[in-house]
This record gives sequence, C-alpha cells and structure tokens, in this order.
Amino acid sequence: MRVGPYPNYARPRRAAGQPAFAHPSEAEFASLLTFYQIDWLYEPTTFPLAWDEAGRVTLAFSPDFYLPEYELYIELATRKQGEMTRKHRKMRRLQQLYPDVRIKLVNRRAFEALLLKFDLRERAGQLVGQVGHA
Amino acid sequence: MPEPCPATPWPVEMQDLARVLIGAEELRERVCALGTQISGDYAGQDLLLVGVLRGVTIFIADLLRAITIPVTVDFIAISSYGPSLQTGGVVRLTKDLEEPIEGRHVLFVEDVIDTGLTLSYLLRTLRARGPASLRTCVLLDKRAHRLIDVDIAYHGFALHDEYVVGYGLDHRQRYRNLPVVGVLKPECY
Repeated sequence: MRVGPYPNYARPRRAAGQPAFAHPSEAEFASLLTFYQIDWLYEPTTFPLAWDEAGRVTLAFSPDFYLPEYELYIELATRKQGEMTRKHRKMRRLQQLYPDVRIKLVNRRAFEALLLKFDLRERAGQLVGQVGHA
Repeated sequence: MPEPCPATPWPVEMQDLARVLIGAEELRERVCALGTQISGDYAGQDLLLVGVLRGVTIFIADLLRAITIPVTVDFIAISSYGPSLQTGGVVRLTKDLEEPIEGRHVLFVEDVIDTGLTLSYLLRTLRARGPASLRTCVLLDKRAHRLIDVDIAYHGFALHDEYVVGYGLDHRQRYRNLPVVGVLKPECY
C-alpha cells in the first residue's frame, strides 16, 4: 500500500520555538508573514511523489510554508538554477498527484521584487542564490 | 476668477525613467472610466472611499473627481515592513480612519497590488468594523506576484514584473509627482 501525505515531524526546532529554517530567505519570508499577521507553519506536510514496488516512498516533497487561513502552500525557489529546476519538477508532480492541494511558487525574481519593494536589497546577497544549509 | 495656470512643466525626475509604461492621457482615460463605472454601481448608496497612504494619493484624488454621485473619502496608514523592523514585529495602524464605516458601503482604493499581503491585512481590519459592503479598486495589478488571492472589483491596469514609480508610487519617497507610471533606470535604485 502506498503511503499518502504525512505530517513532517522531522523538521528540527530551535530552543526558542522558531523553526530551524533551511535558508535565510525562508526566515525573512516567515518574518514578512508574521508582520502581516498571517498564520504560517513551516514544512508541516510531506507529500510522497514516487514509490517503489513495495509502496515505500522514494521521492517526497515538503513545501516550505502552509498558510492555514488560506489553505495554501508556498514554496520558495530563490537558490541556484539547478535546485530551482528540481523544485519546479517536484511542484509539477505534486500538482499531478494532489490536484486539490493549492501551492504557489515564489521564484527568485519574485523574491527579489519583494526585497526591492521593502527596501531590503542590501540583504539580497544573504537571501538569494545561496544553497541551503539544512 | 483666478488666473489660469501656465502649462505644468514635467518634473525633472522624468529623466530617471528608463521608459514610460502608462502615459498621462492613458491614466486619465482609465481613471475616468473607473469613476463612471463606480458612479453607476453605487448610485443611491452611501459610498465611502478609503485609501491607504501614501501611494494612493494621486490616484484617489483623480478617481474622486471622476465620481459623479455623492461620496466621502477617508485615509488609513500602516507601518511598513523594512530593514529597521525588529524581529517579530507586526504591522500596525499609524493613522486610523476618521469616519465610522459600520453599515456603510466602503470602496477600498489601492495604488498597486502584488503579493496581496498588505491588502489582505487591511481588508481584514476593515471587515471587522462591519461595513454594509466592502469592495476593492486597484489601479495597478501585478497578478504574477500574487500570494494571497484578493477579490478586486475594479482594475485599472495589469502590470507584469516591473518595479514602477510615478502617479503616487515612490522609490524611497521620491518620484510620486511624476504624471506617468514608468520604470526606473537601474542606476536609480
């Protein structure tokens, strides 16, 4: 039997209760959501995308954020091109397998536009284009 | 009778634009059309326009003059996300409405919508005050950047991925006085 979507208990937490974000851009995005008083969860669900013959999960995807009020997942793709291509492929697969799941992608260009809008371009070097560290 | 004004010279900062996206005449025509539409839709109702400072000032001033039914106007202002924000800081009203909106037909007017984060917060805030109706009028819609879906009743123009200034929109508080909507030269931001 195939495994379906499941809660992501593996995500480590910092002592203060904040998630251990995989990338600085995710921390900045979480701060932006908090600012606008939008409830968010960090990587709360893992969606299996491929299984072996025994039904074990061989490929899975945990979108970065879930906004419960809007029933919306958000994935940030602000890193290097190769990683973005893999994320795009996972997004497409997720939408094929789980068509009722609402998910939006914030690509590097859209994230840079956010930084410009909020006068945060000085932080762009820290927030965009780096490989995650978790 | 006052003396007629001489033709208004174009602001010197027009030279900072790489290109004009929406010209002054195109803006005038579209705002007039929006005013006509709104006047028809709200005929016989107690209409209150609410704008969020400061980007909306030029648009709402022109829209107000294009509306032909009785109408009142009020403004709200909120703090902005930015580099000086303390960790964990949240948005707050820096100027509240002067007018009560309970039981009134409110049209929220905004200069530009992109992610929908600001607009969704403001609409939640206004909706909690019990207006008879609450709809939204947006001059510039960057739909490609939308995260939070917001129902827009009146649209001015669709924009793609450009960072624009003019007609009330600023970059570090400059360029609001440009009579057009345009894209800044990269060396200007």
